[in-house]
Amino acid sequence: MTPPVWRGVLLVLLASAAAGPLALLVVTSVAGRWLYPSLLPEHLTLESWALLLGRGRLASAAATSLAAAAGTSALAVMLGLPLGRALARLGGWRRWIGAAAAFLPVAAPPIALATGLQLSLLSLGLGGTVPGVILAHAVPALGYVTLFFLGVFHVLDPRIEDEARSLGASRIQTWVRVLGPLLRRPIAEALALGFLVSWAQVPLTLLVGGGIVRTLPVEVLGFVRAGQDRYAATGALLLVIPATLAIGLAGSARRAEAPPL
Amino acid sequence: MTAARQPAALQVQGLAAPFGNRRGLTEITLDVAPGERVAIVGGSGAGKTTLLRAIAGLGPTTAGRVLIAGRDVSAEAAERRDAVYLHQTPLLFPHLSAGENVAFPLRIRGVPPADVARRVHEALDAVKLGDLANRSPRTLSGGQRHRVALARAVVARPSVLLLDEPLSALDPALREEIRDSLLVLQRAYEPAVVLVTHELHEVGSVADRIGVLLDGRLAQVAPPAILFARPASLAVARFLGIPNLLPGAVRGGSFESPLGRLPLDTPAPNGPAVAVLGADGIAIAESGVRGCVVAIQHGPRVITAIVQVGPQRFEVRLNGETAPPVGSEVAIAVPQGHSATVVSSSEHPD
Repeated sequence: MTPPVWRGVLLVLLASAAAGPLALLVVTSVAGRWLYPSLLPEHLTLESWALLLGRGRLASAAATSLAAAAGTSALAVMLGLPLGRALARLGGWRRWIGAAAAFLPVAAPPIALATGLQLSLLSLGLGGTVPGVILAHAVPALGYVTLFFLGVFHVLDPRIEDEARSLGASRIQTWVRVLGPLLRRPIAEALALGFLVSWAQVPLTLLVGGGIVRTLPVEVLGFVRAGQDRYAATGALLLVIPATLAIGLAGSARRAEAPPL
Repeated sequence: MTAARQPAALQVQGLAAPFGNRRGLTEITLDVAPGERVAIVGGSGAGKTTLLRAIAGLGPTTAGRVLIAGRDVSAEAAERRDAVYLHQTPLLFPHLSAGENVAFPLRIRGVPPADVARRVHEALDAVKLGDLANRSPRTLSGGQRHRVALARAVVARPSVLLLDEPLSALDPALREEIRDSLLVLQRAYEPAVVLVTHELHEVGSVADRIGVLLDGRLAQVAPPAILFARPASLAVARFLGIPNLLPGAVRGGSFESPLGRLPLDTPAPNGPAVAVLGADGIAIAESGVRGCVVAIQHGPRVITAIVQVGPQRFEVRLNGETAPPVGSEVAIAVPQGHSATVVSSSEHPD
């Protein structure tokens, strides 16, 4: 067993690892001239944040990212929920094959996935469009969400649906009155998961978006490559905010939904 | 059984249902009157649950019809069959309170809220849980969950209640509690009940009739007294664990065996046969066939001597007699006036 003092040290280290880079981003995003070896910037400025609040590239990229992530998570949950449920109801090798198929886009290197998707989406005329990027993001997101719901439905006793049907509930009533309330929390968590997969996506956006679809991570990458640290830090902080909110929303849904599956 | 004169609440006609890829149940035919309780017994894997699920519309069928209250529901979805299927373990909806669980079948039928409240109250009172309506299922004991599930199953007054091993895997006290609740609710709501179980000892006290499911077929359906006294076949007798299956032959209207000549309780054709004598069919006598006592079984109510005669063993109930020592020799005989119930002559007891 870890002694309490070491547990405290480990916790501090963990908190520092998470908070340290964030603190550095905050400072960098408002830093004016800041040259080595100065420990602090010469002055502070809100210029990059003002640009963001105005109609700058960051604002536009944030809006595109939000739209892509929202569309991706909705699509992934709409497809992943029934897929995960169907896989959970299968037995033996069929479930194994299904789970492996869902795992493939999760396990495959993003650049390999992006290359393959780029070819197929370009041929569909979806290259360089937000719907194309959403479809591309939905592939790995669907893998994650399907595997997530496979676990959920593996735990949820399938006989509970039979019980509701036998008591007189139609399929719709079974979903609305029984499965819906029971799945509220997992659906919230799956939406957050799908959102986050899209929100942080770079290779797929770059290849399928073809430089036309400019999401926040793509803009941040551009700022980093151009040495524009203040804008890169501002964009990076923006990337962190929705992720934190998504986790927070899933957590609040967990607290509100007391009954376990 | 006055119920038998009423139109059937449940009619199963020539039903066939597969077990996975196997043939499964075949030619299942069964009528259950309103308010009647029929228990289907069979070994593990006999198809008892498959039968209930097929009747409930929750499992596939390959042939036959199911009629509930005279209406052919064979092609109907489970929710439109007016038959409630209850799993062995109570599956209450965890997001609803005990009272809301019982209200569930009423709410989905659009029953007015005032009626829902009254009927939920009545159903929970019937199982002595009226004061626990607001409790979450997670806070109820196992027995309480069973009783809530039973109340929920009957509250909408279904024609048929299908119970899958309702008393199995329960300790004796809980079994009595659930059995009492089941009988109370059945009297109050009068559904026809079909329950399946592999435990023979639990059905005698709850079933008006018992059906024996063997090799995918209903081998016999009869009231308990008739079933245990006159099993339809040697296979049924063996499944029921009826002791003292005596090989012999029917000749000239009586049964001839190593234990003597016995009158037949029903006519049977001449030829090899097996007589079902039962626990009271053989007694220790002053004269008769001699055998060796190989074991004495002490039970809470009776003591039984196991007597070996040649290759066959007989169970002899000792009615107040001193148990003979193991290894001693005794004479056994069929008591005076005992008649033989003859079953299949093509089968032979072990």
